[in-house]
Amino acid sequence: MKTRKVIAAAAALTIAAALAACSGGDGGGGGGGNDASNCTNKITKTDAPIVTLWAWYPNMELVVDNFNKDHDDVQVCWTNAGAGGDEYDKFQTAITAGTGAPDVVMVEGDRIAVYQIQDALVDISGYGYDDVKDNFSEGAWKDVSVGDGVFGAPIDGGPMAMIYRKDVFDQYGITPPTTWAEYETAAQTVKDAGGPLFGDFGANVPAAIMALLYQNGAEPFTYDPAGEGEIGINLNDDASKEVLDYWGGLVSKGLVGTQDQFTPEYISGVIAGDYATYISAAWAPGYLQGAGVGEGADADVWATAPLPQWDPDNPVDVNWGGSAFSVTSQAKDPELAAKVAFGVYADDASLRDGWENQIIFPLNVNVLNDPEFIDLEVGFFGGQQANKEVYVPAANGYTGMNYTPIGQFYYTAFTKQIAAINDGSATGSEAADALQDEVAAYATEQGFTVK
Amino acid sequence: MSATRIERRRPLRKPGQLPLQIVLAFLVIYFLIPFWWVIVNSSKNSSGLFGGGSALWFATDIDYVENFRQLFTYGGGIYGRWLLNSALYAFLGGIGATVLAVLAGYGFAKYRFAGRRAAFSILLGAVMVPTTALVIPTFVLFSQAGLTNTIWAVVLPTLLNPFAVYLMHVYVRDAVPDELMDAARVDGAGEFRTFLQVALPLLRPAMVTVLLLSVVSSWNNYFLPLVMLSDNRLFPVTVGIGLWEGTASTYGAAGGESLWSIIILGSLVSVIPLIIAFLSLQRYWRGGLTIGSLK
Amino acid sequence: MTTTIAATPRVRRRSKALRENAIAWLFVGPFGIVFLAMLILPLGFALYLSMFQKALIGGTRFVFLGNYAKAFTDPAFLDGVWFVVRFSLVLIPIQMAISLAIALILDIVTTRFARFARLMIFMPYAIPAVIGALMWGFLYSKNFGPIADFFAAFGATGPDFLSRGLIFYGLLNVVTWQWAGYYMIILFAALQAIDPTLYEAARIDGASQWQIILRIKIPLVAPALVLILVFALIGTLQFFNEPQILRELAAGAIPADFTPNMYAYEQAFQLANYNYGAAISFALGAVVFICVYIFMFATRKRGSFLS
Repeated sequence: MKTRKVIAAAAALTIAAALAACSGGDGGGGGGGNDASNCTNKITKTDAPIVTLWAWYPNMELVVDNFNKDHDDVQVCWTNAGAGGDEYDKFQTAITAGTGAPDVVMVEGDRIAVYQIQDALVDISGYGYDDVKDNFSEGAWKDVSVGDGVFGAPIDGGPMAMIYRKDVFDQYGITPPTTWAEYETAAQTVKDAGGPLFGDFGANVPAAIMALLYQNGAEPFTYDPAGEGEIGINLNDDASKEVLDYWGGLVSKGLVGTQDQFTPEYISGVIAGDYATYISAAWAPGYLQGAGVGEGADADVWATAPLPQWDPDNPVDVNWGGSAFSVTSQAKDPELAAKVAFGVYADDASLRDGWENQIIFPLNVNVLNDPEFIDLEVGFFGGQQANKEVYVPAANGYTGMNYTPIGQFYYTAFTKQIAAINDGSATGSEAADALQDEVAAYATEQGFTVK
Repeated sequence: MSATRIERRRPLRKPGQLPLQIVLAFLVIYFLIPFWWVIVNSSKNSSGLFGGGSALWFATDIDYVENFRQLFTYGGGIYGRWLLNSALYAFLGGIGATVLAVLAGYGFAKYRFAGRRAAFSILLGAVMVPTTALVIPTFVLFSQAGLTNTIWAVVLPTLLNPFAVYLMHVYVRDAVPDELMDAARVDGAGEFRTFLQVALPLLRPAMVTVLLLSVVSSWNNYFLPLVMLSDNRLFPVTVGIGLWEGTASTYGAAGGESLWSIIILGSLVSVIPLIIAFLSLQRYWRGGLTIGSLK
Repeated sequence: MTTTIAATPRVRRRSKALRENAIAWLFVGPFGIVFLAMLILPLGFALYLSMFQKALIGGTRFVFLGNYAKAFTDPAFLDGVWFVVRFSLVLIPIQMAISLAIALILDIVTTRFARFARLMIFMPYAIPAVIGALMWGFLYSKNFGPIADFFAAFGATGPDFLSRGLIFYGLLNVVTWQWAGYYMIILFAALQAIDPTLYEAARIDGASQWQIILRIKIPLVAPALVLILVFALIGTLQFFNEPQILRELAAGAIPADFTPNMYAYEQAFQLANYNYGAAISFALGAVVFICVYIFMFATRKRGSFLS
């Protein structure tokens, strides 16, 4: 590594010379994430120390202002570096470059292990974790933990459920299915009667499909950083194959669509009534409404019901999405950064703004137990008390998942396999076997011992 | 076919070319359809976009005003900043690359110096090196030098344009007669005065062409700024629209707003400056583009 | 190299040569510095980076050419190379044929409408690839795109250019749309520069319009065709922007390692593996360079691109 540093330094000198030659040399900042001059929000208390933050919640400006108003000892400087994948690419780049990351970063739970293994995140269990421990359920904490370490402050979650069109269900005389077997029967009924597709199996939502595997008792990954690089990879066990074969069957029978989700194509299909159900999470109504679903004549057609189960006697609740704030190892003052991670989006005003406008489904138990939140009549669902009937029980029943340090690779590979199932070039079982081989080979190459 | 008829009337180059004009008309429709689509659909709100109206005609309510307002206010008016950034990067990169190319092209064409042959072959080879192959190592180097996430990270690599040097070389060789330079020298002009007062005025069409080509490639650049910048306030408009597209496609990121309307309008607005530049500078680049394609 | 300089007396030759060297390097020097800093240095650094292997566990170690050995047996890389080669083989002839045909038509038709058409056909060149891909992504839509509307009018289902089977053609169309006008303008300019007396002479000899096109026009624009071909080849082999943007709409049809350049991006910026990413870029760069150089050598003629 030493020679590399020397070469890089020589290179840097050359570039600096070139710079000076053609511009008079304005060295610029040392990398944006840590540069406090580029905040999107206004900081009024200019003498307080600054903590930089990347986040993409749409009401972030308000949330940050709330935090800064309440604190005199620290101020948050916030930027939106992109939503989801865009931000992860930038964060990953900053990690590898060793510079340019913010102090605090918004990540989904399933990404935490990916960055933890690169030593990019700080264990914040020693920085005020005990004070907020009781504010979240065990499942919520499990999702932001790797081994014994806590690597994020949970904010929102995505307890999964089945959103459906009441008008379609009424027209074809079906009731919300409670098991996956009933789901298929109902789908067949609608199809036989000439109705729309029943659902969608999108290649670009591997995280949702991983949750569905979990629901059937699959345990795709086991990983503990204390375990000397050992990783358990079980992507082609019977439970996974059963789920993938089930969806592959629905696809080949023409009962569900194969459209990528979150695309204009999918949204326009949802608006046009092409899909009778949407297997999704608690954030979905907000997302759909923002995209123009449920307007005009369709105002009251949507409703939600609990996710269908494999074994109705032992229901399993699963989660898709939801994010946390993590402290990066490039933070100048990790303790101060942890204070921000635990404190931003944790005050009542911000949380209320989040759930009232359906921007987030908060995991803070004070909200989950708040009668006003529970009894909320959701406009998108025609006044249905969706939190009380569906989402709060699902959130309370959720016990957390094990995520993997090679999640980025896993999702990419999984997307390819789902696409293969969707165009009929592989059955669910074949896809599971191929995925197992591909991911295990990558893990081995990356130095893991695959159990 | 009409070939014989055209042939007979050829010297006058007059009518009788109807079939070919009809072919042209179809081609124009094909090449303009995406523009038409953008113009029509940037007037729609999200229900107009996805609600099942005709894709190539206006919805009942035409919403340009509201969409424009949203475009320039969303995210604190960041879109205007992106446009300015694009203009700045294109201007700095374009001017810089053009100046370097004119100087170097002139040097290669008018001086026989030690190392010329070797340098020129390396230059020709460099025309064929895919520039994207340079992005990864350049990024690592820049990050060590603390240059990533600054405007230099975008501007400096665009200064490299070996093809522009080659174009200028060819043009100088053909357009600046040695006799003219010698005459200037005899009159006592130094080398740089000869260059500035004799050669430069003759090179205007080539300079405009090279400038336009550099500005276009810089304005349209996506990969380089995507990699180099993480602060969205430094983004050029291409990366910015890519960011919005990502936001619109991520749950919980767009909130209660549909970004697709402003993505489409933003696309339309972002292409207008270059179209204007091309239309107004037609005279120059039409002549300049022949360089390098002729002997 | 046709450049000549005025003959100088022998006596002053040496000092004159020195002075001329210095002045020449003052002209070439600024570009030379940029060339070294932005091309030679990164290339050298990429080569250096590519000789290390990085793993999440175990860190970085020197493997010399190990990454290249891996790349040329890595199905993801080879599939990507195969795709861009296949894509080039289909795209480039189509694109050249279309742009040549349009240029020939515009060379014959001289009406006002033709001048207007010329500009309009050129226009997509000014559109960023990112935005071109986005627009076509919408036009391809099964639910609200005009292609679907068109087929629906005849009671048929339109093709889905964003599906795994047809994405090849979907991308083909986007790239042709974007670049055909630019190439057309180059060819048109070359055609316009042909001396019209050649046509007169040919006509007197009884040549038809077709013969004039085949025997005079096309051979005389051959250098321009070669130039275009080289551009198109370099551009297509490093295909990135369009598929990367369309991926947002069709992740199932366009995997992250769709083209070698996308694969390099994925490795370097998503999987934290600069070393393998650099190896892929470098391997791709070498492939492009060798392909183009061989091609240039094969088509080399007096007065063509490599003068």
